[in-house]
Amino acid sequence: MIRYGAAAAVAAVLIVSSLFLDNATAFFAACGAAFGALLQRSRLCFTAAFRDLFVLRDRRAAFGILAALAVGSVGYAAVYGLQLPGARYLPDTAHLSPAGPVVFLGGLAFGLGMVLAGGCISGNLYRLGEGSLVAPVALAGCIPGYWLAFSLWNWFYATSVSTAPVVWLPKHLGYTGAVALQLGVLGGLGALLFWKGAAAPQPAREPLDLKGALREPWPAWAGGAAIGMLATLAYLWGHPLGVTAEIGRLSRLAGAALGLVPARLEGLHRLPGCSAIGSDRRLTESGVFILSLVAGSLLSALLSGEFRIRVGKPRTYALAAAGGVLLGFGAMISLGCTVGTMLSGIMAFSLHGWIFTAALAGGAWLGTQALRRLA
Amino acid sequence: MIHVALMLMAAGQDVLVTTDWAYENLRNEKVRFVEVSVDPGVYEKGHLKGAVGFKWHSELCDPVSRDIVSPEKFQALCREAGISDDTTVVLYGDLNNWFACWGHWIFTMYGHRNVKLMNGGRKKWELEKRPLDLTAPKVPAGTFTAKVTHPELRARLNDVVKAVKNESPAALVDVRSPDEHNGKVFAPPGIQELSIRAGCIPGSKNIPWSKTVNEDGTFKSAEELKKLYADAGIDGKGTIITYCRIGERSSHSWFVLKMILGYDVRNYDGSWTEYGNAVGVPIENKAGTVWTGK
Repeated sequence: MIRYGAAAAVAAVLIVSSLFLDNATAFFAACGAAFGALLQRSRLCFTAAFRDLFVLRDRRAAFGILAALAVGSVGYAAVYGLQLPGARYLPDTAHLSPAGPVVFLGGLAFGLGMVLAGGCISGNLYRLGEGSLVAPVALAGCIPGYWLAFSLWNWFYATSVSTAPVVWLPKHLGYTGAVALQLGVLGGLGALLFWKGAAAPQPAREPLDLKGALREPWPAWAGGAAIGMLATLAYLWGHPLGVTAEIGRLSRLAGAALGLVPARLEGLHRLPGCSAIGSDRRLTESGVFILSLVAGSLLSALLSGEFRIRVGKPRTYALAAAGGVLLGFGAMISLGCTVGTMLSGIMAFSLHGWIFTAALAGGAWLGTQALRRLA
Repeated sequence: MIHVALMLMAAGQDVLVTTDWAYENLRNEKVRFVEVSVDPGVYEKGHLKGAVGFKWHSELCDPVSRDIVSPEKFQALCREAGISDDTTVVLYGDLNNWFACWGHWIFTMYGHRNVKLMNGGRKKWELEKRPLDLTAPKVPAGTFTAKVTHPELRARLNDVVKAVKNESPAALVDVRSPDEHNGKVFAPPGIQELSIRAGCIPGSKNIPWSKTVNEDGTFKSAEELKKLYADAGIDGKGTIITYCRIGERSSHSWFVLKMILGYDVRNYDGSWTEYGNAVGVPIENKAGTVWTGK
């Protein structure tokens, strides 16, 4: 009973606080809560998508990601077709960033970091809502990672980012060509999973009524498809899904106060994505989004009875802190994480999203090897 | 002669349309709505049904030579947007119509005779919770011919220097905030300084653009505006030059002075980022702030 009371309290806080927000901010609060609840319910973990596939050949989370990307790609293409006939001009608000070695390096660091930390940034945010005490350590670890990346950014920008091309597939292939290519690649990867992955163990299932939906995890592919639709709606409102903008912004403000961050970060304000643009506003849409993400996950964990204070072994905290540094570093130089660069980049048909994802897979594989040595 | 003609034009036809008028004319084929917003993505998120969007940074400016768009490029842009010489062009945009006013200035200089501004811009439209549309319009090409018909609406650095030296008198109106005018700050909050000197053009009067608008983004009445400028000694008897930081806020005040009050006004688009950085021209800096490279 206590947990239902707590769930009602969380829901009330979400609803009442939204009454004080303008339309757009309230909409992103709702998006954040839905995103958190979807991640929690369908256990759609970006880390598991790679790690479990490599180690256990468990393909469920990977299917979830592919479903999100496929649905989101179609959704983005539908919005593009309305707003940008002919694909001649690049869409202004979509996450289209330079495709080059820096985003590859970022993906590699991020992939390694997420396996060490046991979750990426969005993964740690939703686990925070489930009561994990390891998640805050990983998230705190991101901050020095951001500082390290900020201190190197101007060099990265001058040597590579500034000249790396932004490759938007529809500009070269048209909308039909881009959608066909992207769905073809995603379908091919899906087929590969069917062929190589292990069949999922069938859990004992309660009937799929309301009670069952509350208690049983949802299939990852269903959660993924819903996230694809959510991503389309968020893009329609001019703010692609992303979770690291606020963490980057706060790290930058704190780092600047400590004298660890250069006053001028070249080109950052012109680059779309979760690019840590310094603003001294107390409340940003991105901030509201991640607060609501944690609240949505908490609400969903309370309702399903999965909320409990989760304590880890000392080693887990150490790995979370070290992994967190790599997550923050990777997210900064890639202008986003598994959400802002992988999901929102690929759905936007940007080559940089694919480069990040390929590197992410490589980094995650390195991570599984490292953990095997450590064990 | 030209000034008289433009004054008559300003007086004879209303250059402002209300949001009500705009709403009722969204389907009027003789009217083309043009959004000029400066924030990327504002147009894409939703615009007046049937409106085309012009990008200020790349389509109304020439980023290579730091100049306004050339007549050839502007003509092509307008034709693609379905604009002919007899089209009624209605401009609107974000940030109190700053950049829409820039658009109005360009349209007028390049000889379009039927250009209006939606009073209050996006701000009022959104305050009134009017509908926004996501689809980009499909329009048949127009036939507008752009010619530099009113070059006298633009002031260049040389004209400003001549005014400062009183060789060719003109009243200089600085429409920036008092802190920028007095040299306390190099640029408005949130903007990296683009001039290495703080202060203003010697002898310029500080009449911030914000004094010309109401809370909902609409312009104050002509009587109020006339008094605002008269109180600062700008009575419209001679030539006026407006400037700000990059020429967008000053095109807003240019619109007020030229199109609403019918004065003889030139917009100095080089503004403080040119004048403040120019070598060998004097400035006035009441606060005495000196740039130290940080």
